[in-house]
Amino acid sequence: MATADVAGRSRIADPSLADEGEQRIAWAARHSPVLTALARDRLGDGALRGRRVAVVVHLEAKTAYLATLLAEAGAEVVAAGSNPRSTQDAVCAALVRRGIEVHARHDSTPEEFTADLLAVADTGPELVVDDGAELTRRILEHRPELADGLRGVTEETTTGVARLRAMEADGRLTFPAIAANDARCKHLFDNPHGTGQSALTAILRLTNLAAAGKRFCVIGYGWVGQGLARRAAGYGGKVTVVEVDPVQALRALMDGFRVAPIASAVEDADFVITATGLADSLPASVFPRLKDGVVLANAGHHDREIDVPALADGEEVRPGVTRHDVAGRRVHLLVGGALVNIAGGDGNPVEIMDLSFSVQALSVHLLASGGVPPGLNRFPAELDREIARTKLATLGIELDEPTDAQLRVAREWSA
Amino acid sequence: MSAIADSALAPEGERKIRWVAGWMPVLNRVRERLRADGTVDGRRVAVILPVEPKTAYLAAVLAEAGAQVAVAFPGVMVHDDVAAGLAARGVEVFARRGSTPEEELGYFEEVLALRPEVVIDDRADVIRLAHTTHPEVLDSLVGASEETTSGVVALRAMEADGTLRVPCIAANDARCKYLFDNRYGSGQSAVNAILDATNLLLADKDVVLLGYGWVGKGIAARARGLGARVTVCEVDAFAALEAHHDGFDVAPAVDACRTADLVITATGVRGALAPDAIDALPDGALLANAGAVDDEFDLASLRERAVARRRVREHVEELELEDGRSLHVVGEGVVVNLSAGEGHPAEIMDLTFAVQALSAAHLLRHAGELRPGVHPLPVDIDEEIARMKLDALGLRIDSLTPEQQAFLQAWEAFA
Repeated sequence: MATADVAGRSRIADPSLADEGEQRIAWAARHSPVLTALARDRLGDGALRGRRVAVVVHLEAKTAYLATLLAEAGAEVVAAGSNPRSTQDAVCAALVRRGIEVHARHDSTPEEFTADLLAVADTGPELVVDDGAELTRRILEHRPELADGLRGVTEETTTGVARLRAMEADGRLTFPAIAANDARCKHLFDNPHGTGQSALTAILRLTNLAAAGKRFCVIGYGWVGQGLARRAAGYGGKVTVVEVDPVQALRALMDGFRVAPIASAVEDADFVITATGLADSLPASVFPRLKDGVVLANAGHHDREIDVPALADGEEVRPGVTRHDVAGRRVHLLVGGALVNIAGGDGNPVEIMDLSFSVQALSVHLLASGGVPPGLNRFPAELDREIARTKLATLGIELDEPTDAQLRVAREWSA
Repeated sequence: MSAIADSALAPEGERKIRWVAGWMPVLNRVRERLRADGTVDGRRVAVILPVEPKTAYLAAVLAEAGAQVAVAFPGVMVHDDVAAGLAARGVEVFARRGSTPEEELGYFEEVLALRPEVVIDDRADVIRLAHTTHPEVLDSLVGASEETTSGVVALRAMEADGTLRVPCIAANDARCKYLFDNRYGSGQSAVNAILDATNLLLADKDVVLLGYGWVGKGIAARARGLGARVTVCEVDAFAALEAHHDGFDVAPAVDACRTADLVITATGVRGALAPDAIDALPDGALLANAGAVDDEFDLASLRERAVARRRVREHVEELELEDGRSLHVVGEGVVVNLSAGEGHPAEIMDLTFAVQALSAAHLLRHAGELRPGVHPLPVDIDEEIARMKLDALGLRIDSLTPEQQAFLQAWEAFA
């Protein structure tokens, strides 16, 4: 495919930013040893050759490296962002120069965003690396005839897997899909460690405020919320957890955090962070209970976890920080309620995405190889272990093996 | 006449100064007091501190209380928008990002030519300059107040050999300074700056920390809070034992560096990271300095040794060595929370700059009464600042009963 054609078909902000984007992709590549090794050893067997692959994930350096490796394995890759706030224009420019078609611009409007995703859909992808099922649900909704051409979808997030499940329940998941999010090498690391670190550092950098001695209210104690709570405590903060699931609430309590209903939990909070995957996790009804000067951030899946429309118009007081008046109190909202670690930073650490995208790479390779039945599938446990073993090997860490005697005892059942 | 990069940047700088002012309740009370009592009214005060929003607000507070304030600092720690915002507030500013060493000397000399009565100094740079090449300014100098551990060390050395001709307050040694600024301020902001600059994960890293003073203690706690394994290298037996009992590994630098992913220096000593330790580092190791001294590792000779040098991210320089290893230097070897970030959190600098403002006022109030030498900040001022902070936080504490006080004062056995 000629690069000139790719540039002509792409819709990006500024091709002249390619050098900067290259620099960022090179840094990500350098710190992605697992993905590099797996691409070398596994992706090049021809399964991906000539396959049309759509990559619709936060379009920054790590995603660009995944897209590049898929292209190097012979796939015809088209990329778009999964959220306009997280798209980095420099990375898009570098990808186009690398010969990959891109439809994404930072801060595009919802209409432009949908148009970009439909443009990707119209290339007729056979395989989709999706985030939040953003492309898959648009294909089913707006281009249902293209669903027949799908050889498979692999989904990155908890929220997207829930959406695929809903599609399956409605009988619409007529093609194979893999819940990459549910792979252990993904959700055990990406969600708590990746988002935990990157959301906290983004919040502190955006505000230049201290964490030590502050009260953090974490709404949602799933994998992401657990990471947020642990890292907030690691920065010297005190944590209150808000949950609706009694088991998760107990877990938070025994992990050493205060647990309270939202209405009282927000009252002494200096920072309120949402991580639920639900809309209006911080509803307007509790706004009057917020403390003066509070900082609100969203580290969950979509941009509606904080009921931003219910806040009065804000004034930008620092880049990425708007101040809103709520009944005479100052409420600070970070990056408009978008994902704080991606819209207000560079997203998850590279090493974390090395694991997540290794899952995605092997997942898309598996789908390309065929044999995965229609409907939602688990990521194979053996591939999961292989990724973890590869990561440990890059760290120079060796493991023990159970002895035959141990295995024998484990199989015995008689008293 | 100020020497700044671009006065058009003033509105952005002003916005940043206003943001931090909202998080500095103690300094705001000090401002009201100084405006009321006139201690600094009409007095010439030089502020030699990194030009970022919190420092700018200290300078602005002194100016609002009537002082004639001049600010200067070397360029790697200058935010041009803040410099412009401060100049627009009527403070003389001699600071520009990217200034040359010759220009920086010139800026300091400009400040000295204004014959300051008080110098709020950093690393004793200007006090040393005054004593060595500009002794004529010492006659009108009432005293100085020193911000850093390393500056206090230098002033004590001057006092010991009889060269120090003015009274200097070791502001750094106030409890409201080093217990919070050095530990919590540096701890959070240095770790955060490194993570922001690299987009890397801390949770699987071996961090080697040189120096377990207050800064080192803060960095070790925060690095652990983010999941890193920390090894402390010390030359002081007590500090090493303290690190051991705080649960950190302790080892000589040359041994610890063999498996280091990230080395952070926090010693205040030039050349703290010896060449043999640098030679022991594995390929890809990251180096950052969180101490006040610029050359805690010898970046100049590392650069000379490098067969190739390239900027791989905005604040990361890769040095490829003749033996094939690459080392990554974050923040140009200069204190990383300022070279690659915005410095300490605002609430921490609230304490530090309340110390500095009241230290300057104390010097002026007692002009001629204090002998040349290094003096502590009077304990009552230190305590008053702590009480103001507690009050601003809405925290109340207990006090000793008369019986308890009597107990503490009794010395007779079995009283």
